[in-house]
Amino acid sequence: MTKKSISSFISRLTVSLLLLMTVAQPADGQKTPKQEKDSIPFFRGFAVSFDLVGPAQLMLSDHGEYEGALRINLHDQWFPVFELGLGHANHENDEVTGLTYKTTAPYFRLGMDWNIKKQKHDPYRIYAGFRYAFTNYKCDILRKGLEDNVWHTKADFGMEDISCYQHWLEGVFGIDASIIGPFHLGWTVRYKRRLFHQEGDIGNSWYVPGFGINGSDNLTVNFNVIIDI
Amino acid sequence: MRKIVAFIFLIIAVVSCVSVDCPVQNRVETTYALKKPSGGPDTLGADTLTVWTHRIKYTDNKRDSILVNRLCGAKATSFAVLVSHTLPEDSLFTMLKDTTGRQWLDTICIRKDNFPHFESVDCQATYFHHITELKTTHHGIDSISIKNREVSYDKEEHFFLYLKANR
Repeated sequence: MTKKSISSFISRLTVSLLLLMTVAQPADGQKTPKQEKDSIPFFRGFAVSFDLVGPAQLMLSDHGEYEGALRINLHDQWFPVFELGLGHANHENDEVTGLTYKTTAPYFRLGMDWNIKKQKHDPYRIYAGFRYAFTNYKCDILRKGLEDNVWHTKADFGMEDISCYQHWLEGVFGIDASIIGPFHLGWTVRYKRRLFHQEGDIGNSWYVPGFGINGSDNLTVNFNVIIDI
Repeated sequence: MRKIVAFIFLIIAVVSCVSVDCPVQNRVETTYALKKPSGGPDTLGADTLTVWTHRIKYTDNKRDSILVNRLCGAKATSFAVLVSHTLPEDSLFTMLKDTTGRQWLDTICIRKDNFPHFESVDCQATYFHHITELKTTHHGIDSISIKNREVSYDKEEHFFLYLKANR
């Protein structure tokens, strides 16, 4: 019984392999169909974009960014990107701790997006990409009249013009939809990971321009208005 | 498309969360370890130890501020004392009392450099310190030595305190 089942398994396997080889190898004289040549040029132009989430954050809270980007379209597939922004934080006299944190500084990002949709030339795109980013900024950290709970002395706490910098990497996932003519709208979700940093002599930075509220990593969202030029 | 919209809303929900990352241990203290001359841990046993300081600003009769109140017992091998934010020198007064009522008063003076320390706008501002000099009187205290000069949130032993054996 066992012998019979083994021999039937071997014969089935042989037949399957032979069939597979027949399908994989075209018969003599039969030509493989040629792929249609893509007539879309390699260089497809530039696009500029502006983020709306950062300004909204600035309106609704005490920190945020103004950010623009220049994107090159290579064959609707590769998109080298340069992003430039101005980060701003003005957290004055925290209601619990009484601390003030101020900074305003530019930042930039360089990177690349890939259109991961199968139909590259569609008006809708799905991006995956990365960015390298850097900012060099100065911040003020102040607390007037910090009281010592035991000795009951009061002293002004903090420093002004603390020099800091930060390098970080971002993983980007985005969606871009053509609205009308050269106008697009798009979302990007970014996972940010700090690489190297210096945060001055008195501890940590609270807000890093372009990175957000400080930590070793961060997750942010951009909503972009994009114009093809 | 629905999945993409749901994903975007999920991401917005995650991004809009706020977390406060203040250290759980946020007291800046010096730790005094009681030591025997042999180097092993000492204990107060039935004796009691009280530590206090003088406030710089105080109302009428409230000059003293108790930092350690009648520490005693076989497990009392160390104690922690808060450090002033910005004073160049902290003066601590100790009173060691035995079961017969005898007491020994001493003064410990700690000179230090003070450095402001900031974690986040959500966390209370504080100062870290570098101990530069340590002096004491020798009524109940035999000697005191510095083990670690840096004072921060870390709970390390900063001083070795040797009490007189016969008091």
